[in-house]
Order: sequence, then C-alpha cells, then structure tokens
Amino acid sequence: MAVFLELLVNGISVGAVYALIALGFVVIFKATEVVNFTHASLLLAGGYVIARLHPLVGFWAALAAGIAAAALVGALVEFLILRRAHVGSRGVLAIVTIGVDILLTTELTRRIGTEVLALGDPWGDRVLRLGPITVAETRVVALAVAAALIVAFLLAFKFTGWGVAMRATAEDAETAALMGVRLGRVSLSAWAVAGALAAVAAMFLCVFPTPGLDRGTAAAAMKAFPAAILGGLDSTTGALAGGLIVGVTETLMSGYQSELAFLGRGIGDAAPFLVMIVILLLRPSGLFGTKEPARV
Amino acid sequence: MGEIGTRAGIAALALLSLAVATSAAGCASDKATGGGADAGAVSGDGVKTGPGVTATTITVSALTDLTGPYASFGKSQTQAQQLYFDQVNAGGGVCGRKYELVVRDHGYDTQKAVAAYTEVAPRSAAIAQFIGSPMITALKQRVDGDRLLTIPMAWATTLLGSRAIQVTGTTYDIDMINGVEFLTKQKGVRSGDKIGHLYFEGDYGESSLNGSKYAADRLGLRIVEQKIKATDQDMSAQVAAFKAAGVKAVLVSVGPRQTASLVGVSLAKGMDVPFVGSNSAYSPQLLGTPAAPALLKDFYYVTAGTPVSVKNPGMRKLVADYQAKYPGETLDSGVASGWSAAMIVDEAMKKACEAKDLSRDGVLNAHRSQSSFGGDFGTPMDFTFFDKPASRSSYVLKPDKAALGGAVVFREPEVSELAKDYPVPVG
Amino acid sequence: MSDSTPTAATSTPATPTRPAYRPAVLRLPARPIRAALWLTVLAAAVAVPFYLEGFWLQAGLFAMSAAIGAIGINLLTGATGQLSLGHAFFLAAGAYSYVYLSSDLGLPAPLAAVAAVAVAGVCGGLFSPIAGRLKGAYLGIATLALIFVGQHVLFNAEPVTGGFNGRPVPPMELFGFVFADTPELVVLNVPFGSLERLWFLGIALLAGAAAFARGVLRGRPGLAMNTIRDHEIAAGVMGVPVARYRAGVFVLSSMYGGLAGVLVALVFQQVVPDYFGMLLSLDYLAMIVIGGLGSVAGAVAGAAFVSLLPQLLTRYSDALPLVAEPGSGGVSPAEAARILYGAAVVAVVLFLPGGLAGLATRLGRVRLKELKWAKSAPAPASRR
Repeated sequence: MAVFLELLVNGISVGAVYALIALGFVVIFKATEVVNFTHASLLLAGGYVIARLHPLVGFWAALAAGIAAAALVGALVEFLILRRAHVGSRGVLAIVTIGVDILLTTELTRRIGTEVLALGDPWGDRVLRLGPITVAETRVVALAVAAALIVAFLLAFKFTGWGVAMRATAEDAETAALMGVRLGRVSLSAWAVAGALAAVAAMFLCVFPTPGLDRGTAAAAMKAFPAAILGGLDSTTGALAGGLIVGVTETLMSGYQSELAFLGRGIGDAAPFLVMIVILLLRPSGLFGTKEPARV
Repeated sequence: MGEIGTRAGIAALALLSLAVATSAAGCASDKATGGGADAGAVSGDGVKTGPGVTATTITVSALTDLTGPYASFGKSQTQAQQLYFDQVNAGGGVCGRKYELVVRDHGYDTQKAVAAYTEVAPRSAAIAQFIGSPMITALKQRVDGDRLLTIPMAWATTLLGSRAIQVTGTTYDIDMINGVEFLTKQKGVRSGDKIGHLYFEGDYGESSLNGSKYAADRLGLRIVEQKIKATDQDMSAQVAAFKAAGVKAVLVSVGPRQTASLVGVSLAKGMDVPFVGSNSAYSPQLLGTPAAPALLKDFYYVTAGTPVSVKNPGMRKLVADYQAKYPGETLDSGVASGWSAAMIVDEAMKKACEAKDLSRDGVLNAHRSQSSFGGDFGTPMDFTFFDKPASRSSYVLKPDKAALGGAVVFREPEVSELAKDYPVPVG
Repeated sequence: MSDSTPTAATSTPATPTRPAYRPAVLRLPARPIRAALWLTVLAAAVAVPFYLEGFWLQAGLFAMSAAIGAIGINLLTGATGQLSLGHAFFLAAGAYSYVYLSSDLGLPAPLAAVAAVAVAGVCGGLFSPIAGRLKGAYLGIATLALIFVGQHVLFNAEPVTGGFNGRPVPPMELFGFVFADTPELVVLNVPFGSLERLWFLGIALLAGAAAFARGVLRGRPGLAMNTIRDHEIAAGVMGVPVARYRAGVFVLSSMYGGLAGVLVALVFQQVVPDYFGMLLSLDYLAMIVIGGLGSVAGAVAGAAFVSLLPQLLTRYSDALPLVAEPGSGGVSPAEAARILYGAAVVAVVLFLPGGLAGLATRLGRVRLKELKWAKSAPAPASRR
C-alpha cells in the first residue's frame, strides 16, 4: 500500500509538470486550432536562458528572463512564420511548426552541446515527507503552480477582454473578426503566453529529480501530447486532468513493471498512449474537449 | 494513333538508351574493374596493400556520435584519436605512410551509420572507433565480410564472435560480475540480500543484466530489475520500487543523466545504499549538477579502462598533450579509450608492416597475433581469440571532484573468482 | 494521358489575335520533349549503377524508399487533408513482416514482400475504426500512439522482431536472381553487388508506386479526396462516401508505407526498431511539405531532398564552407542538414506554395491544378 501511495504521489507530481506543458498546447490550439509541435523547442529555449543566466543574475531574475525570452520566441514564430504561411489547412500549419521546431531545437542543442546545465533553483534536492511517502519539493511547487495557473486561465478566459476575444475566436473566427476581434493579436498573444508557460514548465522539468537541462530535455514534450489530447485539446481543465492521468499511468506502470512483466519491460512509455486511445474511442474530443457536431 | 506510336517509340528508345548506357559503362566507368577490386596489389616498397592503403597514406575511419546522446563521449574519443594519429604522423608515420583519419558523425542513427559505413568502408584500412552497439550490430555481418578491423566503442557481448571486431577490455557483464563481487566483499552485501539493477533497454542493459544475474545466482542474491529507456529522465518511480523491495545496493547500467537522477533521488528519499555503475553510466559533467553530493557519497563504477587521474607515464603524457591541444575540454574516459583504440589500430598496422602485408587480411592477422596488449591505459588484453572478452579484470572507480576526469581509483584492477570462470554468451 | 486538357484550358486567355490553333502548336513539341525527358531520366537511371560507387547507390535507394513512403503519406495528408504522425509504424509493419514471413514462415521472398505490404494495409485497416471516429488534430496525435505502442512491441516481441538488435533481412530473390552480394555477378566488367542489383528493383517499385498513385489522384477518387480535404461536410452532401474514402486512403497509404519499409529493409540488410521512430514520421511530413502537397512529383522531390541532404553534407563536409569539421565545435554537417531541412519547410510555406514540384511547374508551364491549389490557400483569411 505504501508503495502504491508513494507511486501515486510521485505520479501526480510528474503529472503536474506534464500538465504545465500541455497547458501551452491547449492555449495555442484554443486560439488558432493549430497543433503546436514547436512547443518542445520553446521548452528548450526557456530552459536554456534560465540555465545560462542564473549564475549571473540569480535564479528568480533568470526565471523571469527565461519566461520573457520564450514568450518572445513564441511570438516571433507566430509573427514571422505562421501568420505569413501560405497553406491550405491547419494540418499543414502543424507540419510547419515541425519545421520550426527542428530549426530551433537543432540550434539550441548545438549551443547546449554536451553539457548538463543546472538551473540553480532554490529547492535543491529537498524532499517533503508525508509519513512513509516522500516527494520532491520541486514537484509540490510544480503542482501548486500548475493548479494556480490553470485557475488563472479559467478566470481569464471568463472575465478578461483577452479571454473573451480568444473564446470568440475559438468559436467562430470569421464572426469574431467581424465583431472587431483582431485575430492576429489573439493568435500572437496565445503564442507568447504558450512560450511563457513553456519556460515555466521547462524550469520544473529540469530541476531535481532530473539532473538538469541537456539536449534530451525536449523529448519530454512528447509526453505532453497524450496529456493535452486526452483532456481535450481546447480545455484548460483537460490539460490538468490529462497531465495527471499521464503522469500517474506512467509512474504506476514503471513502478509495477516487475509485476506487469507480461506486458513487456518498459511499458511505462507506451501506457499513456494506450490510455489515450481508449479515452479517445469513448470520447473522440477528449474528456473535457468541445465536441464538433457535424457528422458525415 | 499518336498514342500507340509514341508509346512504341518510347519503348524502342528506352531499350536503345539502355544499350548505350550500359555499353558506355563498359569502357568509361571507374567501377569497371572486372570484379577483382580487392584482390590486393603490391606497392613499390614490396608491401602488399589493400583497400585504404596507398603508397603514401593509410586511411583510418571513425564512425562516431557527435550530435546524439553520446556526443560528449564521441567528441573526446575523436579528439584523442586525432591527437594520436597526428603524433604518429609527426614522428614519421608507419610503414613509410601517413595516417589519414576520416571522421563521420552518425548522431546515433542507424540509417546514417549504415550510410556512413557504406561510404567509408571501401576506402578504409581499419575503423578505429565505432560508437553505438545497435549500429554495429546492424553492420556486423558486413564488417565481418569486409574483414575490416573495427574497434567498437560499446562493450556488449553481442559484439563478440566476429574476427574483424575487437571489443576492448571487459564486456559489460564481466564488469557487473566484478561489481557484485566488490559489493559482497567490501560493501557488506550478504547472501539472501536483494540488489536492484536499473538498466537500459538494449544490448548494454541486457549484457549487464546477464552478468548481474549470473553473479547473484552464484552468491545467493536476488536481483530486482527495473528497465528504462534512454529518453526517461526522472527515476522517482524506479527508486520507489527499489525502496519498496528493500534493496541493499543498486547496479546501474544506464546513461549518466539517469544515474544522476537515480542516485540523487535515492539519497534524498533516505535510501542510502552503494550504487555500482557500468563505465557508460558516469560522466564527469555530472559533478556540476545538483546530484553531485549524492554521487560523491554513494556511487562507484567498474571499468577496465584506466582513469585519466592515474599518474602513470603514458597517461601523464596523454593528459598533458590533450590539454595542450584542446585546452578547456572535459577530460573523460573517452580520451583514454579513444587513444587506446587508436593505439590498437596503430600496433596492428606496425605488425602488419613487419610482415609486409597491409591488406585487410594482413592487418587482421597481425592484430590477432597479439596476446598481451595494454599497459598504461587499461587492464591487459588478449586479442588472439574473438569469442571471449579481451580482459576480465576491472577497476573500481569513484567520482572525485578534484581529480582529472572526475574519478579516482577506489580499488586496483582485479579479476573476481566468479568472472574467471564465467561462460560469456557470444553473439 | 489526359494532361493535354489542362494545357489547352490554361492557354485559353491567349491574346485574341492568336485564336484556336494555338493549343495545337503548344501540344506538338510538348510530347516529344516529354518523351525525350523521360528517356534521359531512364537512361541515366540505368547507367547510374555502372558509374557511381556504393555510397551513391545506397543514398539513391534510401531516397527511392522514402519516395514510395512519401507518395503514400501524400495521398493521406496532402490529398485528403488527414495529418498522420504514424507513418513510420507502417514502414515497420512492412519491414518486419517481410523478415518474419520469409525467414520464419519460409515464404518465397517476392510472396513475402507482397504479403508484408498487405500486412501493413491490414494494420492501417485495423486502425481505421479509430481513424473513422476521430478528426483533424485529434486523429493526428492519436496516430502518435502507433509509434510509441509499435516501438514497445518491436522491442519486446523478441521471438518475432529480434528485440533491440532487430533481425537480419533475407535478400530478395526473383526468378532465381538473388539481390545480394553473393553469388558474385559481373556485368560489363562492373561488379554487381547487392546495391547495384537493388537499384533496379528500387526503380521498378518506385515507378509502379508513382504510376498507381498518379492514376488514383487523377481519377474520380482523387477528386473525391481533394473535396474531402477542402470541405468534408460539402463532400458528404455531394455524395462522396466520406468515411469509406477516408478509411480506404488510410489503408492505401499504409500499404505504401509497408512497401517503403520492405525496400528499406532490403537495403539495410538488418531491421532495427530504433529506426522506425517518431523522427522518421516527422521526416515524412516534412518531405511532402517541401516537395509539394497532394502530388506524386512533390512527394518524390521532397523525399529526395530530405533523405539526400544529410548524406551529401556529411560526405562533403571537408569541402564545404560554413560547415565545420565534426567535433570542432562549429555547425557540424548533421546539424547543418537539420537546419537546412527545417528552414526548407519554413521557406516553402512562406515563399513557395506548392513546394519544389510547384516550383518546377511554375518554371515550366502553369497548370490548372496548381492554380486551383494556390487559390485555395490564401493564408491569413482562412486561418482561425
């Protein structure tokens, strides 16, 4: 039982980080209906800036700079490339983001080189003990931050002008444009916000229990795909739920892999995708996603 | 009518063009050798030559990883080999010829490695460095068929059993056996205890696991297995499982990142047990990460390669020369292993030159005639057989911040009783 | 051959002084020129193995395999508008089935190859209930599961797949002719190893695959697929059986993937699970965007670009400016290739709607189809 609880708590704490990454996908999808593959390199960009700056200006200033830098990169990608792309469908725009991702990731990994960069965070390797269970402090903070950000986004979507514009765009872009919503601004701001979120996620992704930022960090963004989609690509609540489901599934499957040996070793990586397929079969738009009524 | 006429015309023209193209090939192509390409020629100085050897140069290739997961290792190895061959060339070369090192980066991608091999193999006399056991396994048959002396930078038992492929030092399973025996002798692990083994999917992990299972079986220990992938970063779940099983020590056959996470998380969670890694589980870069204190406290690794911090004359010279040529670069185990692999190739060439036969078979025969290679860079190796590891003796090393290369010798090399009689699975 | 019609159609807005006979004038030189062009291509293709060394043949074979796979995904993503990230899985299905069927079940090699393509199609068919239920981005990401679950199976089902190290691939054998290095064969004084022999097989497979896809795209199915891409609901209203078409294209594209997998396995001589990962799928998507969406020529051009670029840069790294020696700290050839290829995707959507194939056509003559395609892509307005 203690093992199960320990794994569950660990799963939730990993899930919080996935939720933060997934939230970035969701914001962009909500505003532009584009699946954003550039997210992995936004993560790297944010993490890289934090890692390089923290010895000079301290952790918090570096974090702020990282958030700003990733937001800027996100906004630039939207402004310079996606806005000007001559393509027929959003599927193709998704492929364009793959191209951008390759470009940015290659340059960033080249700069990171063979190093493992520490982020200089204030939590270090401290753990929180709850009876027999231990969980890294960084992960507790991540969970709190993810929850707070998601509440903030829910409120912002409801009550701010930006949120209303974004929801109107998601509902019907042409009508929204006719009503005076500037689509360009909505999409630009969504990309900037996603970049900022990516930097925050990168920070939590690279601190203890992982050793630091290196060229492999971007791979973690892949795990946020099932998280984003099984919650519903246009739902912020879904991002949190999806992140937690993926984190818990992965951790439990890895922790119990000796008992689950018949499924093959290393099932932890494939399991979130299996869960995703099952959920999508039951609910084609994810747990909290908006259904599209058209059926042909 | 036009339709049919054109089609017939196209067909006729196609046949014609085919005939023209092929007959032209017969007289103009460089490839038109009549099929006797590698029959072997004799150069002006009476030395029989083969592919990759001309009257003035010997081409040696390095198929390495400079942009993938083993980039840091590949970089040190490549630079060390460049340094080695430059020095030999400066001293007059070998057999009246100069070495030329051709470096190809495959980024740990099998297709790129196969493509690179196809490109360089026909013009190479040896491959002094080949990183990545999946890549070498994919090419094993071809390397064997090409009789091209190849030094893999991977130590899985699957690479044994080919006359052309020389695995250096110990294989991963031997290291693990020596590691388990070290745990029982010096770290208080006793019969009936459980020990964890965290390992990568693939050759590296599976070979290591073979060794640890064998040793555990003989010593009455139980292995708790946890398999992970190279993309996994956070070892919390694995630590929880080890902790729940109550392991007394953990064997580590993963990459450096995962080692750092494993050891760091374990100590933070109060699992203060010894960790014993394979040589690929550690890199000195880890001492700059938050996991450093935990690694310094509990981590050991087992390898046949001498660490660069050992002050024997050969290693001292290598360190001094390397630092002079590449100031500020990390000195990791790749420097010594790359250097030593270049030396193996060079020795084979020298021996082959004495026999006046630099053809591929000549080089292989020369290489396989050496039974006690070694000295300053690793435990002694025997190259006369190819279905057993060249050595069964390994060091136990310990991370050390102050030392060159981030590691010092904790226990001098030893062949454990178990490793001596261990039947190595081949192929 | 129906391509004279669009030529005629586009030339209608000609100046009134040169009336109806003009298309005929255009047509006459067109055919011989095209025939001559194809002949040159054919002659070059036949001559290549006699002149170029193994490296080039292998690079070419990889490109041919990539082209076959890219044609498949272009039918699905380019022509029908369905994003798929799972293409690498179908290559794996084809490659591994070929190995299993011919070495373990002992089927003759050609039969095993055909069966392997069928198996890949069946895999696509099995996934198509999910494909039928999901739409757009959801299906795109759901296909990611194929990659990850597929990799898990490849690594763990060792008796069939050989696990991490994969399995050796038995050579193709057609009517007693073996596509391998042994027995030795010398044609016109040129030693013919496996690469030289496979070259011709590759050309034949690619030509067949291209011709079939061209037929599909130019006929009724092609029109239906494009309608589904441009407006799914409208397609349904007009009587296109959308669900059936989507499932059918999914299966067809999987079969192309399977064929590409068989060819790449034959070239590799060893199948390894690592190769059939996420990156391969992304490469395929990049190929069709760079080459040009929805056309066979585009898929081939993109495949050639993406698969040849890194090999060429690596090979000529010594001679190229800007590209540093590997390990010296600058931009290595592998990195330069990735940067160029990412940049190519971006550059194509910014400056070259229609991709490389579109560029070729524009340089040559304007065709109705491409006009339509360009028209259907006025970027900012259609984005929501």
